[in-house]
Amino acid sequence: MLKLLKEVLKVGEATLPYPFEPVEVMPGFRGKPHHDPELCIACGACAIACPPNALQMATDLDQGFQSWSLFMGRCIYCGRCEEVCPTGAITLSPDFELAVMNKQDLFEQADYRLAECRRCGKYFAPVKEIEYVEALLQKSGLADDELTSARALLKLCPECKRKNDVSKMVSLYQEKKDVPR
Amino acid sequence: MTVLMEEKPRVGTKYIAALRARFGNSILDESWQAPDQVTVTVPLNSLPDVVAMLYYEQGGWLASVAANDERPLNGQFAIYYILSVEGSPDDPNPSQKAYVVVRAQIPPHQPEFPAVTPKVPAAIWYEREVRDMFGIHPVGMPDERRLVLPDDWPDGLYPLRKDTMDYRYRPEPTLEDENYEFINVEGEGIVQVPLGPLHMTSDEPGHFRLYVDGENIVDADYRLFYVHRGMEKLAESRLNYDQVTFLADRICGICGYAHNVAYSTSIERALDIEVPARAQYIRTVLLEVERLHSHLLNLGLACHFVGFDTGFMQFFRVREKAMKMAEMLTGSRKTYGVNLIGGVRRDILKEQRTTVLQLLGELRAEVATLVSMLLETPNIVQRTQNIGRLEPQVARDFSPVGPTLRGSGFARDIRVIHPYCAYDRVPWHVVSKDGCDVLSRTLIRAEEFFESVSLIERCLDTMPAGPVLTEGFKYKPYAFALGYVEAPRGEDIHWSMLGDNQKIYRWKCRASSYNNWPSLRYMLRGNTISDAPLIVASIDPCYSCTERVTVVDVRKKKATIVPYKEMERYCIERTDSPLKQQS
Repeated sequence: MLKLLKEVLKVGEATLPYPFEPVEVMPGFRGKPHHDPELCIACGACAIACPPNALQMATDLDQGFQSWSLFMGRCIYCGRCEEVCPTGAITLSPDFELAVMNKQDLFEQADYRLAECRRCGKYFAPVKEIEYVEALLQKSGLADDELTSARALLKLCPECKRKNDVSKMVSLYQEKKDVPR
Repeated sequence: MTVLMEEKPRVGTKYIAALRARFGNSILDESWQAPDQVTVTVPLNSLPDVVAMLYYEQGGWLASVAANDERPLNGQFAIYYILSVEGSPDDPNPSQKAYVVVRAQIPPHQPEFPAVTPKVPAAIWYEREVRDMFGIHPVGMPDERRLVLPDDWPDGLYPLRKDTMDYRYRPEPTLEDENYEFINVEGEGIVQVPLGPLHMTSDEPGHFRLYVDGENIVDADYRLFYVHRGMEKLAESRLNYDQVTFLADRICGICGYAHNVAYSTSIERALDIEVPARAQYIRTVLLEVERLHSHLLNLGLACHFVGFDTGFMQFFRVREKAMKMAEMLTGSRKTYGVNLIGGVRRDILKEQRTTVLQLLGELRAEVATLVSMLLETPNIVQRTQNIGRLEPQVARDFSPVGPTLRGSGFARDIRVIHPYCAYDRVPWHVVSKDGCDVLSRTLIRAEEFFESVSLIERCLDTMPAGPVLTEGFKYKPYAFALGYVEAPRGEDIHWSMLGDNQKIYRWKCRASSYNNWPSLRYMLRGNTISDAPLIVASIDPCYSCTERVTVVDVRKKKATIVPYKEMERYCIERTDSPLKQQS
């Protein structure tokens, strides 16, 4: 009993004054994800990786918007989004204080404009994603003529690309009568 | 980066030879998933005999039973009895320890199989679960009650069949009342004491019913699974196989990382992925960090239940150091989210290693002081010695795991029997005691704590350099294998079969407490009611508080309610029995 009393006296106060003083977390702590809408290209890689579907992408083809959204109520702080993001737009912050008075405050959303297809005029991909790919093409070291045709294709929606392929095949067939099968 | 399985010698061939000698042509098929993992297919009728022979003659322990709806693959249901076969006690050289999985196919037009439970009692929960989840009927079962499904679940809706329901489907309750039939113990002066619907000391709500004669417990029965989360269905339906690691974390709030490693290793084995040595060491360190905080929690609660609350506070204060360690090494206090299939996501850096070693030194000294204080408390030995006895024969029949089993004289630890991660590369020893009581189980946890501290130190000292993650492996459709980890409460077993669409076809995860619950009934018998919370605490199910305890007097056919606080107070103070006040 005396030993216990000595131990208790030696330890003194073990509790921290939190929340009246901030608590430091260890470096590398995974807290609330921070999204930088400027860096984000709305590619949706994070939404595919997210195990609990806290991150989701929604496409509005009528209005021409792609929305990125995060629901903190589902987030498990695994940080897979941070790992897969090609532009470093998502990072996990050390912020662990997540209580809100209103459930709506747990949602975060960012809308991105969709580009229109050069041929049919339908919305098909986020403008920023196309710009990102264009920049990659620029750096890829392709010859000038290849680069121009690749750029032209980039502005086509998948359906028009398919039509493009078909008409190319048809013209090949008409020219040479020797079609790759 | 893959290992050719043929290069390593197979372990466990002698058991297969023994099976063939006894059952001859009944062994229809034999396939090896790993050098020490074999699956044999037998006809349905020989199933109980084959399992019983492996269990009682070859030193087998029932690790898990997985049913699988293989109708889309081969038109049949299948059931897998997973045994860790460790050699018969008479065997002079019981060196071969292997997982032998006995598989039988069940035709869908007659969904039933001969129950193994009459021959091997350890199978009782598994077979009840198979009936609930798959609608495959075990014939000859002594217990026909539901285990997993709620009482108000519709008849004929079997959640894990592939063609029955979407994972989001929530059927309307079919009845208003709880109609679970508890066993009926009758006799002069016997009173039923239900504890629940939330179980004291356990995170999971559970309804316990104690049958008492005066203050003495004659028998006990329980209804659990009130918070079944349908994780297996969720994993099969919505998640990709590599996302399931993050779900496996969430199986338990204490030993989540153990489940995660068990799941990851099952997939790694199925896909022949070699995990880098450094990742194996890191996993070992993190598993042991988890054991540190889990055992400190149990020791703290052991203090609490014998009325030594200062000790409880001190253990929890010291435990905070283990939590800090977890936070630093994984980025989360709960060691969550560090594993991927193929390795780990974070390396242990030099300055982290230094901090961990320093914290370990402090923990070792402080916990040593606290443990000696706990043991010097006058009533600890008096309250725990010869209380809640788990007789070795009961243990042998029901395959309990972890400190519960090791307290009854079996030095059985998966870390040694089937070494995984780096446990066979660093020296350490298994702690076991033969007191069979609450005291033994508590002392084992205390000693294991110090063993874990040394294990982490040795791992950090001898950890090889190199990569921590293997990438670029191939997904193989319908490959399956076992993963296993000795969690703080005993072994966690995961049996996983991959699908053909980046998903899991079937994931059977079995947490350690699942094997410990069925033998609890025998531990409670013959003790007084004031020791009940202490005995339940000694198998260390995940803890929580509960609200109230109901007392039913069968002679007066009257139910009265004792608040949980009162029950807990009685366990601590042992004066003024709430039963006497009621009558």
